[in-house]
Amino acid sequence: MKRTTFVVMAVVAVLFLLSWIFKAIALKGTAEHYWIQGFLITFAAFLTLAVLSFLYKDNPFYKFAEHLFVGMSAAFWMCLGFWTTIVQNLIPRLSSSLSGFFEVPTIPGDYNFFFYIPVLLGLLLLMRLSPKGGWISRWPLAFIVGTTAGLNFIRYLRSDFIKQISSTFVPLFGTDWQGAGHFFSHLDLSATGQLALIAANWLIFVGVFTGLIYFFFSKEHTGWFGRASRVGIWILMITFGASFGYTVMGRVSLLVGRITFLFKDWLSLIS
Amino acid sequence: MKVILGIVFLAVLLTCSVAFAQTDAMTPADSTAADTLSPPAPPTDVKAVDTPNDHGHSITVTWKLSTDDGGGAKSVSHYEIFRSASPTGPFDSVGTAVAGQTIFVNGGDKEKQSEDYFPDDSNFYYRVDAVTMNDSVRSSSEIAGPAHAYGQWYNTGRTPVLVAVLLFMILTIYFVSRARKGQELYVRPLGGIEAVDDAIGRATEMGRPILYVLGLGTAADVATIAAFTVLGRVAKRVAEYQTDIIVPTYDPIVMTVAQEVVQSAYLDAGRPDTYKEDSVFFVTQSQFAYVAAVNGIMLRELPATNVYMGKFYAESLLLAETGAVAGSIQISGTDEIAQIPFFIVACDYTLIGEELYAASAYLGREPVLLGSLKAQDWGKALVIILAIAGIVAANFGWTWFTHLFKVAN
Amino acid sequence: MAMKRQIPFALVFIFGIFMLFQYFVPHESSEWVYEFLLDWIYIIGILALALGIWSLFRVSVDKIKTKKPNWVYSYVTLMGLFIMTVFGFTAKTGDSWGLYPVFVITFMLALFMLIQVLAKPASRNLYGLFGGAFLLAAVLIAILDRTWGFYFMEAKGLQNSMFRIFFDDVMMPILSTMFALLAFFIASAAYRAFRARNLLASLLLIAALIVMLRFNPYLPYAAYVAKVSNWLMNVPNLAGQRAIVIGIGLGIVATALKVILGIERGYMGKG
Repeated sequence: MKRTTFVVMAVVAVLFLLSWIFKAIALKGTAEHYWIQGFLITFAAFLTLAVLSFLYKDNPFYKFAEHLFVGMSAAFWMCLGFWTTIVQNLIPRLSSSLSGFFEVPTIPGDYNFFFYIPVLLGLLLLMRLSPKGGWISRWPLAFIVGTTAGLNFIRYLRSDFIKQISSTFVPLFGTDWQGAGHFFSHLDLSATGQLALIAANWLIFVGVFTGLIYFFFSKEHTGWFGRASRVGIWILMITFGASFGYTVMGRVSLLVGRITFLFKDWLSLIS
Repeated sequence: MKVILGIVFLAVLLTCSVAFAQTDAMTPADSTAADTLSPPAPPTDVKAVDTPNDHGHSITVTWKLSTDDGGGAKSVSHYEIFRSASPTGPFDSVGTAVAGQTIFVNGGDKEKQSEDYFPDDSNFYYRVDAVTMNDSVRSSSEIAGPAHAYGQWYNTGRTPVLVAVLLFMILTIYFVSRARKGQELYVRPLGGIEAVDDAIGRATEMGRPILYVLGLGTAADVATIAAFTVLGRVAKRVAEYQTDIIVPTYDPIVMTVAQEVVQSAYLDAGRPDTYKEDSVFFVTQSQFAYVAAVNGIMLRELPATNVYMGKFYAESLLLAETGAVAGSIQISGTDEIAQIPFFIVACDYTLIGEELYAASAYLGREPVLLGSLKAQDWGKALVIILAIAGIVAANFGWTWFTHLFKVAN
Repeated sequence: MAMKRQIPFALVFIFGIFMLFQYFVPHESSEWVYEFLLDWIYIIGILALALGIWSLFRVSVDKIKTKKPNWVYSYVTLMGLFIMTVFGFTAKTGDSWGLYPVFVITFMLALFMLIQVLAKPASRNLYGLFGGAFLLAAVLIAILDRTWGFYFMEAKGLQNSMFRIFFDDVMMPILSTMFALLAFFIASAAYRAFRARNLLASLLLIAALIVMLRFNPYLPYAAYVAKVSNWLMNVPNLAGQRAIVIGIGLGIVATALKVILGIERGYMGKG
């Protein structure tokens, strides 16, 4: 190992120990297992700083935190999936003797035996690991892809096509049309009045129209079509900008949360 | 004079108070009149029918308002609906409806074990009572029935969607068959797609791998399926140029499909033996652990090109920024609207929304896929036409047109 | 040959069309098949996790074996994986932990020896011997010590305090810090976009800036900025959102249809 690496690691180790000792002493009155608590808070702070060090450059502390996180989270989701879905939902439906072994209440139902099918499909999927029988793992894949394709087809046709069309049915000439003469003679020119609403509706309509034109693939974007397409992408960029700005505030508050942890829970500099 | 006025004033006062006392005496008489309210006119024309467009287990009861509801004696406060399995009773109350309402849906659970179970195909009889403020003063309607609940086989409220489905299928099949017959189809240039080839060439020159991130979706997400087809094309070129490809995956089923896709691409390119099994691997199913690992790969393997296609969430910026810092060319495509701005800002080329779905047609230039792209464009044209028609209809008050697009639940 | 390609595509078509028509049939029988199918997909997904964990294990062992760069950290991944799994399937029976820490240490050492056996075939026998010894010790402790046990019931493993502690004090700090990194990255991304100086990126940033500043009371003309940003969110943003959503919806619908009809075949692989 290089000398600087060794020195840095030694320094970090010493700081870790010091932090552990101080934290444990600080918690002596309040927590039951204060040595363990002290260690845990120190370790959490260490991991936080290790991840933050990523901003500077890749380093052994970040690598350690990253690899630890990957291994632990994979096992975490496996355990969670096993307990909540397999043991609590699937096994009670399959057989009462298995439910007895796992000591979960059986879920009664008329067609529970159908639940053997996903188990079978899951096993077919695991056949992937065998070099010869790998092709049969396509069947459960086909089932999943086909079912969700059908589901998504209908769902998005309804929400992103039909519903969106009907949302564009907004009045462009005020809420009751009684002829051009009536419209112009009764036009309210105040900023917050009818005119502003009508202008907004017009702008929305034009925005949707040009935005859709931008997404046309099979026609060349030249001439008037091209100009409309340009306006469309500008509107889209404004949309994305608004979304960007909206999300930024949320992210900053997360950072504040982490810094609060470091300064309040670990270093106790703020109360 | 004053005395006479005083006496007249007193007399007036006295007569007023007597009259007042008499009216006071009259109000108790009014309340007793309320006690002896006469029963209101009963609701008429009670009908009980199976609730339409449902899975059964529900009967709808309708009636005509009692003449004393809002009119006449105005004494009806609510209606109570009774149900029995036989026309002679006994009748149990199943619910109430406020005055002015003429419809009540008597529904229940489909599970036999449930307390609220409502059996199908059993005859029920209904009676509607018009009830006054005083619960015991009421009048009953005629018995309606028998009616039995059953599930419908077609939900008529969803017909607009069926029309749309058929329209789409027809459009797609039409354009695809036209394309199969050899008709040329123009598609406008997409920056991100054209960059893919150059990016792979760059990677080969620099001797560095290509990183392909399929996103955090499952094989069920259509965006991930679109990403698979792009992966197939990219992997084929990668196999031809003999560059390395790294595909870290978030979902095990996505990993399985990706392995198949990449392996087949190598087979297609004529180099099945150069396929490395570890090029497609599972990382973890935790969002930020996955990102931490992919960031690590970016900083250590230093890929020349990063391709992000599929479903991404909050981690999109972490990936794209790290890749930018590592100096890779980045091409992204996602349909998550909230993440597109981050990709636009941090990546060199971004496929926005629908462009991701068009990508597979662009990369393969297969007539069949280009044909389906034309159908998509016609879909958009249809939206514009129908929107304009609808706005015209809305402005002229032709509500029948807007009702065509209402989909019942 | 038909089995390998045709049957999967037939399955995709059958299930896709079924889900499509299921939407229009409110009858009970179609409803419960729909619910079944969705449950099945979920269950298959959980079972597939075994494939994923196996892949992670194999790749990590391979890295150690072939001494790829940073191979040391693969030990960290594997240890993290193992320890979380152990915690996820064991729990206290009584009040105290007894010899549980000893069990954990011996069991982890046994698993460590297992990794060594797989990764260093040269010294396989030596490692195998040690591994066997540790495993024996661990099993003995498991049988003899009654203060804790292997749990397969009611997700007791999930309630294991060690499982929770490792989640709260190891995984959560890393997770939230990574999320917090986003705040830094947004700043650097915005800076880069600002320097890019093309019209579209500028539009995006200006819109983002307006939306970000809308709640800031210290700005001059704060009320005016708030009004403009409100208008921005409600008019062009709405138009752009609608255009994108319609486009995406059509894209999803077209792709789903292509998958069901078998026009899109790229995801199934060949051979």
